[in-house]
Amino acid sequence: MKYESQGIAKMYFIAAIGLFVGQILFGVTLGLQYVMGDFLFPAIPFNVARMVHTNLLIVWLLFGFMGSAYYLVPEESERELYAPWLAKLMFWVFLAAGVLTILGYLLVPYATLAEMTMNHLLPTMGREFLEQPTITKIGIVIVVLAFLFNIGMTILTGKKTVITLVLITGLIGLAVFFLFAFYVPDNLVLDKYFWWFVVHLWVEGVWELIMASLLAYVLIKVTGVDREVIEKWLYIIIAMALISGLLGTGHHFFWIGTPDYWQWVGSIFSALEPIPFFMMTLFAFNVVNKRRRDHPNKAAVLWALGTAVMAFLGAGVWGFLHTLAPVNYYTHGTQITAAHGHMAFYGAYVMVVLTMISYSMPIMRGQKAANERAQVLEMWSFWLMTVSMVFITLFLTGAGVLQVYLQRYSETPLPFMVVQDKIEIFYWLREVAGLVFLIGLLLYVYSFFAKGKEVEDIGAAVTS
Amino acid sequence: MNANNQHSKLQLKNAANAALASILNLTLLPVIGFIALYLIYKKTTPNNIDHYHAVLGMKINIIAAFVLFVVSGLMILLGGFNSPWTWVYVISYFTIVHTAFIVIALWALVRSWSGDKLKSNQ
Amino acid sequence: MRETFTKGMARNIYYGGAVFFFLVLIGLTVDTVKSIPKTDNRENLSEQVVAGKYLWEVNDCIGCHTLLGEGAYFAPELGNVYTRFGKSTDAIKGFIKSRPKTGIPGRRSMPQFNFTDEELEQIAQFLKYVDGIKIARDWPPNVQG
Repeated sequence: MKYESQGIAKMYFIAAIGLFVGQILFGVTLGLQYVMGDFLFPAIPFNVARMVHTNLLIVWLLFGFMGSAYYLVPEESERELYAPWLAKLMFWVFLAAGVLTILGYLLVPYATLAEMTMNHLLPTMGREFLEQPTITKIGIVIVVLAFLFNIGMTILTGKKTVITLVLITGLIGLAVFFLFAFYVPDNLVLDKYFWWFVVHLWVEGVWELIMASLLAYVLIKVTGVDREVIEKWLYIIIAMALISGLLGTGHHFFWIGTPDYWQWVGSIFSALEPIPFFMMTLFAFNVVNKRRRDHPNKAAVLWALGTAVMAFLGAGVWGFLHTLAPVNYYTHGTQITAAHGHMAFYGAYVMVVLTMISYSMPIMRGQKAANERAQVLEMWSFWLMTVSMVFITLFLTGAGVLQVYLQRYSETPLPFMVVQDKIEIFYWLREVAGLVFLIGLLLYVYSFFAKGKEVEDIGAAVTS
Repeated sequence: MNANNQHSKLQLKNAANAALASILNLTLLPVIGFIALYLIYKKTTPNNIDHYHAVLGMKINIIAAFVLFVVSGLMILLGGFNSPWTWVYVISYFTIVHTAFIVIALWALVRSWSGDKLKSNQ
Repeated sequence: MRETFTKGMARNIYYGGAVFFFLVLIGLTVDTVKSIPKTDNRENLSEQVVAGKYLWEVNDCIGCHTLLGEGAYFAPELGNVYTRFGKSTDAIKGFIKSRPKTGIPGRRSMPQFNFTDEELEQIAQFLKYVDGIKIARDWPPNVQG
């Protein structure tokens, strides 16, 4: 660790992992509720558990992004963080806001929470992924602004690199598009249209910038490949991400009462959306193949390669699978969407944060890389989580295909709940895969405490 | 880490083009990609890196075609065109296996750029 | 070939592409906002419907149901529930009202929200309004949603 203030990332990463565990515990709860409908009813109904599951995901990924930025920016800018105290303060503010919100979901009925937080003054609650009380949303804005100020000042007064510029662009975009969370028109078509300005322009837009810059940073560090080469790749990847992703928003405007031209715009541009992920895989493969050294942190290299491949698979391939309007006509809002959502979030954003943690955590703990046994355990957890996520996706895809056929495509369509009974087997299988994922995650947590033989630094020795 | 030096520029270019044609055949330009790949193959001579990558690309694509189309075809034949379960298997199978071939071809492309074979042989 | 493609060119594609397509998105957004009065059923957006939408939100209905295909996939699509229930707001109200407090053993069940009659009417009117939005190709494909 070159700069002391980089160490602030550690608390952010610990919180992120803690909340990740919570997210998965609620995930397996939801999975069980799919097959045992009365599980925990009425204490924790499905919608509450799902809200906790998705909101914890968003909050811990934001912790991960912020931690990553606090680690990466000082080193790239070659100076200490502008205001370390502010970063520490905002950590506690954000953690308190996050934990209180989750407790609010769990302890009182949602409508009561809305009343308690005076939602009627500025109604923003009750939209998917943006269920947080208005006061929490304002808290998020304050935390993100303080974070952007801190990071921005560090970059402005330090050395500017392509990686930090791309990262800050992505983070500013994240903040700007979040403001649409405060716009909730009565007109449902407008409501849905602009809701996607948060959701789509986050995950299929500016977050890809954040992801690509984090991945590029770790790849520079672990492969020693020339910065010029990596920066060129980075630019072209994010160029393709925005060129395809901005108008790709149109694939959400097929069936919400918006004009017909979106069927064409959305289909064509979202069909291009796999390209940036395809290139990310090519990029990661290429720089690892051309590496100038074998970094002792093998786990971090594995995570970096895994991120590229799984993002391509989840976001690219599984997105393309149902993005064309004629296909989406049948698959929209079925388990196919759930399949894509799970693998895309895991492959792109969960894994890139874990890549960053894998690379930086040992350094913050005073080592170049974790000890051999810890790395082996971490790599086991990588495979357990990744393979089980592939299976979760496959089972949900199976459920989705069957659901589409029986409920939408067949000449004698069956009611929703009848179909749900018929696809139950897939939900059981998904639950088993989910439990394996949980085991992988617990192993991941354990790997931080595992003792073993310290790795030797083979450093820059190996070249052609 | 790479064996660049022992190959001529032309061979490297052919190898990269062959690997690219292979991946195009798997994705955007099926059949056309394979014809391009075959034409590159004709220009190469055995024991060179470009020949290796042209042959590798053709192998990947022929195996992929077999594994994807023949197996999917059998699934449809045995399961019946109008059975929802047929499509459960065909769609999941085709998607995941197709992606696996693309990822292998991507690695081959990257290896061709550095003038290496698919597996590193020290 | 790859050497002639410089970092500067990549950067220009990024800036140019991002700005251009962002402007196109804004342009299409302006056009969409201008043309949706033809489809969005705003003539039926009564105070009752607005109140119903608020109830829809503060009870997190989207946490189980989809509405025009968006939401959770645990419970039926409600964008066309008015049609599915025989174009009867009474049927919708009756269903919501009759949910057992402690659920149904072994099965999924909608919670009992203890709505007043006025609230029930507002929710039913909201769902009726949503059903009146004109969707491309009359999505969903059939009445089952």
